[in-house]
Amino acid sequence: MRRIIAIVTTSLLLAACGNSGDSPKTEETGLNGAGKTLNVLVQANTIYPDQQRAWFTEINDKFKAQTGAEVKFETFASPNDELTKIQTSVLSGQGPDIYSLGTTFTPTAYATGAFLELKDDDWKKLGGKDAFLPATLGISGPDAEHQVGIPFTSRPFVMAYNTDLLKAAGIDKPADSWDGLLEQAKKLTSGGTYGLAVAYADGFDPWKFIWAMSVQAGNPLVKDKKASLSDPSTLKAYQTYLGWLATDKVVNPAAVGWKNAQAIADFGAGKAAFLPMVSATSKVTLDKSAVAGKYAYAIMPTIPPGQTSKPGNGVGATSILSGDNLVVAKYTKNKDLALALVKLLTSPEQQESYYKTFGELPTNATAAKKLQSDPALAPIIDSASKASGTPFNGAWSQVQLALVNVVVQSIPALKDGKLDEAKLKALIADGQKAAQDALDKSK
Amino acid sequence: MRTDVQRLLPRWVQAAVIAVLLVFVMTPVLYMLFASVNDDLEVARGAFWPTSLHLDNYAKIWSTVELGAGLANSVVVAGSVALVSALVAVATAYVLVRFQFLGRGLILRGLLALQSIPGTLMLLPVFVLFANLSAVLGMQVIGTRWALFVTYLTFALPFSTWVMVTYLRGLPAELDEAARLDGASSWRILRSIIIPLSWPGLVVASIFAFLLGWNDVLFASVMTNPDSRTVAVALQVFGATQEGGAIPIYGQLMASALICALPVVVLYLVFQRFLVGGLTAGGVK
Amino acid sequence: MAIETVAPPAARDSNPGPPPRRRNRNRPLWMLAPGGILLVLVILVPLGVALTVSLLDLDQYTLREWTGAPFIAFDNYVEAVTDTALPHAIWVSVGYSALVTVATLPVGLAAALATQQRFKGRALVRSAFLIPYVLPAFVVGTVWRTILMPAGPANSVLGEQHLWLNGPNSYWTLVVVQLWTSWPLLYLLAASGLQSISEEVHEAAALDGAAWWAKLRYVIFPHLRGVLALALIIAFLHNLNSFTLPYVLFGVPAPHDVEVLPVLTYVESFQNFRFGLSAAMAVLSLVLVAIPLSVYLRAVRLNQHEN
Repeated sequence: MRRIIAIVTTSLLLAACGNSGDSPKTEETGLNGAGKTLNVLVQANTIYPDQQRAWFTEINDKFKAQTGAEVKFETFASPNDELTKIQTSVLSGQGPDIYSLGTTFTPTAYATGAFLELKDDDWKKLGGKDAFLPATLGISGPDAEHQVGIPFTSRPFVMAYNTDLLKAAGIDKPADSWDGLLEQAKKLTSGGTYGLAVAYADGFDPWKFIWAMSVQAGNPLVKDKKASLSDPSTLKAYQTYLGWLATDKVVNPAAVGWKNAQAIADFGAGKAAFLPMVSATSKVTLDKSAVAGKYAYAIMPTIPPGQTSKPGNGVGATSILSGDNLVVAKYTKNKDLALALVKLLTSPEQQESYYKTFGELPTNATAAKKLQSDPALAPIIDSASKASGTPFNGAWSQVQLALVNVVVQSIPALKDGKLDEAKLKALIADGQKAAQDALDKSK
Repeated sequence: MRTDVQRLLPRWVQAAVIAVLLVFVMTPVLYMLFASVNDDLEVARGAFWPTSLHLDNYAKIWSTVELGAGLANSVVVAGSVALVSALVAVATAYVLVRFQFLGRGLILRGLLALQSIPGTLMLLPVFVLFANLSAVLGMQVIGTRWALFVTYLTFALPFSTWVMVTYLRGLPAELDEAARLDGASSWRILRSIIIPLSWPGLVVASIFAFLLGWNDVLFASVMTNPDSRTVAVALQVFGATQEGGAIPIYGQLMASALICALPVVVLYLVFQRFLVGGLTAGGVK
Repeated sequence: MAIETVAPPAARDSNPGPPPRRRNRNRPLWMLAPGGILLVLVILVPLGVALTVSLLDLDQYTLREWTGAPFIAFDNYVEAVTDTALPHAIWVSVGYSALVTVATLPVGLAAALATQQRFKGRALVRSAFLIPYVLPAFVVGTVWRTILMPAGPANSVLGEQHLWLNGPNSYWTLVVVQLWTSWPLLYLLAASGLQSISEEVHEAAALDGAAWWAKLRYVIFPHLRGVLALALIIAFLHNLNSFTLPYVLFGVPAPHDVEVLPVLTYVESFQNFRFGLSAAMAVLSLVLVAIPLSVYLRAVRLNQHEN
């Protein structure tokens, strides 16, 4: 309530001041945010809960010193909660001033039209577009003129592998094709140890595999509002992904119930040779696990299943363009303050300390440059540069859901040891229809 | 042999029923207890019995999950919902049971029908309502305990009222009728006759209202901020965030779940006396 | 079938309910105001909003100015019936809710009867019975999901690899877990019903020297009919609207066998952004539930003094 009164009084004051010329245009230090509060929604970090709390305080203190305004952080538990929070806020025009969104939600946020589209002037207030790594801007908006997302962190996906197991099997490095990876996984599967750890029951992991294998084969899944899930490359992707467990048996049968965390745990227990589709944040967990010091990261294969080299129209995507974007709500009453806070969060110093605390890569060009020399990060930075953005369409999250649904409905049949192609095709056809319906409605 | 008058089942049937139900109920609960002190990797492997004793889980959770603040919020919100909804319900039920008026049957049926409305349908509209309310009142509504209180109170009402309607029907009308003939006001009758006689019903109604507020995550997850977050949401945040990036910490999850359930179980233990004590209020002594 | 068992008893010992005319003056109808205002404001008004939304093409593109979303009359309803998983979801939901409800009756009643008489430790037993109900649905879901995961304790006890959380078994998982968490509701209501049976009734039956089952059948059960009829309706509706439990147990998108209504409407609105379509689905299911419900309500005659 105090906040609202403050907002009301300050906006009255501002209105009274009119164009007296003291509205802060030059420097963020010229902002007077005394008595104002910015609300920021971020994902709760349970790997580092204490550090996150400390970080909240630190940012609040810094921002208060800069502008006089307070920063209040709210956290959401899961991407689903995040979506709900965005929807309710958009609908009611009330809620956090700044949201930290997973990159793949940016198209959805853009589609609502409820978030600030950044004009040149706004970018200037953020220190210019050049301050960011160009690649990280790939999913900020449909094109360079229409961007809502300000890159905050980068979390490209890579593959962890157990160096001991690979050495014992005489494999010197992970394969660069999915077929090669499968051959290696077969060699590494024996007596309770499996070649791959894959989270089939995760709500998000599966589509990332299907998407990666499809784009590598030249099928972007969505192009010009047309869904192409029914393309043979997507069927092949599903067959490969599901086949690992069903027919190739290189995955623990228990993986049909795994979420991402359980796959990491299994790899951490030394029971799987490869752990594809993880980000650098898994490092903390793995360094405390039984495989500490016995694992390394590599980029995931970029040669699509069934091929020995990348086809001409294929994209050698190592990962989706992953991480977090910051978006500023249009309904915010403190736009300039919000931009100043975003500037603080994306400043080289903050980005560097954020990486050091949470293991998430900077999007700030200066901060990123500093890290390039770190050899442990080489594959991750490599993956970041070869990552590719998912289609920028307001219906993407529906397409995503349709992709996952095929896997969910296929799971019961996996234990039969074979993949029924007709059934799979029927499920994919349902997915294609759902995706196309959603795209037809997109604007 | 007075106690045996109440015996409804032969001893062996009674013992068998209790034993079977206790096993049914307690197996998962014991599993929670064991998992809360077990090694996380053992839990992941499917162990039921604990192989180690990680009692420190119970110390760690207070910083991993914001349990303390969550518990306080839940107690305040659910507690006041329990209290107020029982009082509103008994007043409503009193009128519905003792008086004849147009639309009475409709209200009675409506109260039941209201419970068939799914929460997922109401989430957005209720949010819109509070957002508009906040614009009208010029103060923050969403994110405060008040918003939660009003929401839960209302959602608890149909059921609480029904419990009270059912209960009051079992109360002989002679008592309040006599008072009415003596010229007592309805308010007075409600306060000094109906409410004191309806303890068992009131307690049941309160418990349900309390649970509704205690357990909800659907509304609480969008209508709270970190300051007003209830313990169920704190738990959910904790559980859900584990799904990405870290090895699942089953131990702490189970420990915090048990802590979350404890107050309610204890509360019930305490209030049981009232239930039992007020046992014969329904009949004329 | 259910209708016969819950028909009101022919005679009651006490004489509750309003004697017909005498009370027509001084009715304290104002006492209905607090509850009435709340129900109208927080349930009926939002329900009206939801009904409106069901007639709109409300999605992520129109959400920001929802009142301006295109009015498409009943298109959402047509789509819901003809082109979505709604019929399937209704079938799954109604089926499992009915199964669970029917199963809770003997369980809850037996528990209430068994704990009616005082014995040492009764308070503890009663509290233990209540635990499944007091645990937040989110916790119940998480615990059972852990127990039933492929490498979880259930499978290690059975020594076999069953898939509980997807495929045909998942339906029975949902039934058992929902039963586990919801039977105490019926137990509580039955227990409170038992408590309102007067000592005289017990004594009369005891004097008759009736066999225990005869006493139950002819003396106790008739007294519980009203409260059990209510309990069954409440339990059914609670099961039908249970969202968090299936959501946590099976996740979204839900496996086909356990694609229940609340989860479907949730996914349709909060994940697929088809708010209008989702509202239409919920309204349709509401109507579908309301029809049998009203028949049932008429049959049990919740108020025996109504004509």
